Amino acid sequence: MTAREKYDEIFVKVFEVDKSELGSGFNFADVEKWDSLSHLTLISELEDAFDIMFETDDILHFGGYDNGRKILARYGVAID
Amino acid sequence: MFLGIDRQNGSSLAMIDNEGYRLTYGETAALAAEAGRQVQKRSLIFLLCTNTVGSMLGYLGFVDAGAVPVTLNAHIDRELLRNLLEVYAPAYIWAPKAAAEEFPYAPVYETHGYVLLRTDSEIYPLHEDLQLCMTTSGSTGSPKLVRYKKGNLEANARNVAKAFGWTSAERAICDLGMQYTMGLNVINTHLYVGATVLLTTYNLMSADFWDYIRKERGTNFTGVPFSYDIFYRLRFERMDLPDLRTLSQGGGKLTDARFIQLAEYAQRTGKRFIPSFGTTETSARMACLPAELALTKTGSIGRAIPEGELFLIDENGQVLTDMEAEGEMCYKGPNVTMGYAVCKEDLSKGDEFKGVYRTGDLARRDADGCYYVTGRLSRFLKLLSYRVSLDQSERLIQQEFGIECACAGNDQRMNVYITDASKEKDVLDYIAGKTGLYKSLFKIYVVPGILRNDTGKIQYRVMDETYAG
Repeated sequence: MTAREKYDEIFVKVFEVDKSELGSGFNFADVEKWDSLSHLTLISELEDAFDIMFETDDILHFGGYDNGRKILARYGVAID
Repeated sequence: MFLGIDRQNGSSLAMIDNEGYRLTYGETAALAAEAGRQVQKRSLIFLLCTNTVGSMLGYLGFVDAGAVPVTLNAHIDRELLRNLLEVYAPAYIWAPKAAAEEFPYAPVYETHGYVLLRTDSEIYPLHEDLQLCMTTSGSTGSPKLVRYKKGNLEANARNVAKAFGWTSAERAICDLGMQYTMGLNVINTHLYVGATVLLTTYNLMSADFWDYIRKERGTNFTGVPFSYDIFYRLRFERMDLPDLRTLSQGGGKLTDARFIQLAEYAQRTGKRFIPSFGTTETSARMACLPAELALTKTGSIGRAIPEGELFLIDENGQVLTDMEAEGEMCYKGPNVTMGYAVCKEDLSKGDEFKGVYRTGDLARRDADGCYYVTGRLSRFLKLLSYRVSLDQSERLIQQEFGIECACAGNDQRMNVYITDASKEKDVLDYIAGKTGLYKSLFKIYVVPGILRNDTGKIQYRVMDETYAG
């Protein structure tokens, strides 16, 4: 599985959405299911899947699908 | 006026929200009274709550006018909402502007982002002492309400404020929903002493939340155990929060490890950690542990708040008089509500609890009179006729492995939910060993997350339906 596939799969599972909904418009403010519990689950799943540990600031600013890709890039995970 | 809002210094700040509203006590009193004038006395009003100034103005004004609000989460499941509307036929709905559009009723009044709708239901008789109704925190999908009588909310606000030592200088971070008994109590308690409440709808895991509480200089925070799981996930102990002086907790039991972590953090940083205990049936809080005992009484909920009394009874209902004892925890005090309602006719009923509430929780009392909740009477399974406490099983597993866990199931089998797949086999061996029961009576499920409702309570029934159904 590619990193992108893994990344997408986690979003699909956590937010219970169809893969087609993911993209630049998939942001904290617009997704009703994006609350503190799903945020926590998302962060934990990503850390497990990519074997990384986020800094607090990155957790707090992990506000969307696209922005998450930029944050992951800083941990050496390229989501192409 | 309700909560003595008009007794406070009219120019001090009463409420701030993250939509940008800031109201003084003078403005709050005037605007709440105006909202109150829009409704008929002794009518039932559904409040679709958010932690905002608009939501609060309706609550304060309607209670003050003698109408009876039913507090509900604005994001309540729409099927449940339809069910509640059918069962209780409220005369009015107080809703955020966007949500108001869902209903086929004309708006009759609007302020601070909230709209009052007059439904087509007739006004029907409510008991003269009834002041407010709330859903029980445990119930999902049930129309069961708790009936509050006049005096409950103010008595609890007064006594909790005293127990916590709140003054008008506090700036309380109000993140727990106002539709939830403890969330509302945090707000009432601070308004009662003329302090400022910082209402917020921000998610605890967003930068917005932390920016807001820093900018508005929040001095105290009340959370449920899940709130503190998030705090530690964010390594909040490394954050610089100089204005934050008190951390309080309620709404379920912290693990001992978390309790100790918070007590030590508070000592190290010169802050206070105050665990507390309450239920919807007692208008929120019954007890709290004085901050100075947090380091020595791990897991304790402390003693009853002023004007209240905690006591223990045995299986025959006899009061246990020895100082050190264990039994069902009961509470007596002016914040005990009237009873339940499951239909609108129940809203004309009088006081059924009569000032005493049996919590259904098992508790231990130590030599200093401090209480420790040890389990729930009803959270037992009878596996092969052996009584097995689900709460205790959960805590044993959490403590042994340091992992998240939830135990549910039925008398045929206990379902153990964990999130750490590597511990699947060890957890099974351990819990079977601890209870001395066959492994086949337990089923371990590795799940992506423990499901909780928005107050942090584990949704056992939903987990069973989702994973073990």
